[in-house]
Amino acid sequence: MIKKISLILLLLFILFVFITSMSSFSDIYNNAGKIFFSQNGYTDTGSVNLVTGIYLDYRLFDSLFEAAILLIAVSGVMLISEHTIDEKNATFMIDKQKTPELFVTFSRILYPIMLLFGIYVIVNGHLSPGGGFQGGAIVATAILILYYIDIRKTVDVHRVLTIEKFLFLGLVVISSLSFFTRGELFTNFIPLDANIEYKAIFLTSMNILIGAKVALGLVAIFTAFLKEGR
Amino acid sequence: MNPILSFIVILIGIYGLAISKNIIKSVFCITIVEAGTILLFLNFGAYEGGLIPILTSLGLDVVDPLPQALMITTIVIGSTITSLALMLCIKIFHHYGSIEWKVIFKGDK
Repeated sequence: MIKKISLILLLLFILFVFITSMSSFSDIYNNAGKIFFSQNGYTDTGSVNLVTGIYLDYRLFDSLFEAAILLIAVSGVMLISEHTIDEKNATFMIDKQKTPELFVTFSRILYPIMLLFGIYVIVNGHLSPGGGFQGGAIVATAILILYYIDIRKTVDVHRVLTIEKFLFLGLVVISSLSFFTRGELFTNFIPLDANIEYKAIFLTSMNILIGAKVALGLVAIFTAFLKEGR
Repeated sequence: MNPILSFIVILIGIYGLAISKNIIKSVFCITIVEAGTILLFLNFGAYEGGLIPILTSLGLDVVDPLPQALMITTIVIGSTITSLALMLCIKIFHHYGSIEWKVIFKGDK
């Protein structure tokens, strides 16, 4: 009991410190970034969607390691779950509980629509809300619905992981191409004074690679979890 | 007011991490802390009347896109951390036969 009360007092003290720091809010945060991005964002990056412009151009180094962390996490999940997949005759978790017929039928109708919507979100990442990470998650969900339709179709997770490694290599290569055209690493490889619309080539290719990578990673993680069920 | 509310969400998550007796609940609390962080950062950039940061025409009054771009990173990393932690939970359950912190700290099978 004393522990809980002291914990609550400590948390209230942290809240008090936070509120006092928020009273001088302009020291923490100001409008400079917003003004810069809304004035120069489109002409610099060629992206109508400023968020995509930031994470694929200004902060591309950040996004590369974000994709690397996803790859490492997928490898970690594979490594931890590896023993039971091979040793024990693992059965799928969904197999034990019967899927309702209604669910299967609607999955068959929804599957192509979801796949199409995911691809739309990926390809239009620089024009509308979305991008590689979000669209990849939608595509992964669409692929996972296939498990409900037919459980016997399995995914070879190790092959998926290999494809994902090559996709990450492609990401690094495409983002390093700017060293030869612009003279600096990890930015758009199309020259800065080129026509703005050409810059979308880089954004679309990066979005497609990231989307495929995220979708494959999530499918691999989910398959590893399904194989754990017994 | 809104940043303070989202900071309270973070504190609730930390409180849950400190007192939860179940590993799965601890994983939930990590997710709550992450959600509070996302809300806090989105509150920094947003204001009333600000539009989404998509420049369909010039001169729009858009919100700051930088916190939103940072939060994409947080969401992806949060999902990977959750999946790794849950996979470890499965392994711990197979090894110790329980997911209570008390049983695991004793170390008996």
